[in-house]
Amino acid sequence: MLKVLVVDDSLIIRKKLSKLIENLGHTVVCDAKTGQEAIEAYAAHKPDLVSMDITMPDMDGITAVKNIIKDHHDAKIIMVTSHGQEDMVIKSIQAGAVGYILKPLTQEKLAQAIGEVFIEYAVEESDLLDDEI
Amino acid sequence: MILDALILQTKLLLQDDMGITVNSVQSERGLINKLNMKNYTSMIGTGGKLSLLVIISFDNSMIDKLVDLFMDGVEIDSDEVLEIKDSVAGEMINTLMGLALPTFPGRGKGVTITPPITINDASTISKHKSSTIATAEINTNFGQFSISIIDSKNSNSQEK
Repeated sequence: MLKVLVVDDSLIIRKKLSKLIENLGHTVVCDAKTGQEAIEAYAAHKPDLVSMDITMPDMDGITAVKNIIKDHHDAKIIMVTSHGQEDMVIKSIQAGAVGYILKPLTQEKLAQAIGEVFIEYAVEESDLLDDEI
Repeated sequence: MILDALILQTKLLLQDDMGITVNSVQSERGLINKLNMKNYTSMIGTGGKLSLLVIISFDNSMIDKLVDLFMDGVEIDSDEVLEIKDSVAGEMINTLMGLALPTFPGRGKGVTITPPITINDASTISKHKSSTIATAEINTNFGQFSISIIDSKNSNSQEK
């Protein structure tokens, strides 16, 4: 079971992602609405995985990734983004993120992204529910 | 052209991914001085090579349907209902902009978008003298909403 930090300025995405993560058997240890909150939450909770929005007020997700990686080199961060932000995804990967999920969010996409980072959690597609938003 | 791209992506998203039928779309361009807002409104700004404000405004029944679809069984506390509705409006404009951006002139390269901004308690938005407005009223089997674009530069007005 992974401890996960969910970072998104949108309440609906935080709630939906939390539900999908818990459906996969993992625990959301904290959520954050801004990049700065994410940095503080990471230091406080040391999660196994972070889901990180890219476009947020005050500090974007790429800057937050850089700041987290600077102090925690082994941090595992997956970006959550929309179509049309592929350039931002590339910048995020260059900053140290290990993967990304394109909205709309589904349990299948989330499980695949987690399985690519943590091989022990890789699952067969047929085991997944299609829970799209 | 940009409004047309947003209308197309809206139809595709609603009909193909959400099971919502678009009954009609009425668009109006150029000779508009004022936009009337509905119950839940969100706005995104674009920057870089394209400087626009894009506004989406939902009536109550439409936002309620979208909340049902987005939440899909996730519990909502009573004190979260308004924030959730604002959040859904923001996610919709964010998603539509993300889908439409690659179909903009130049495939949207060099265009940046801001996070969605919620507009509360606004009944109208008026334009400044040099800006232009294009708007589309979208009627569905679950309610109505509008997508509007405000362009502050006359040089770009032909794009819409």
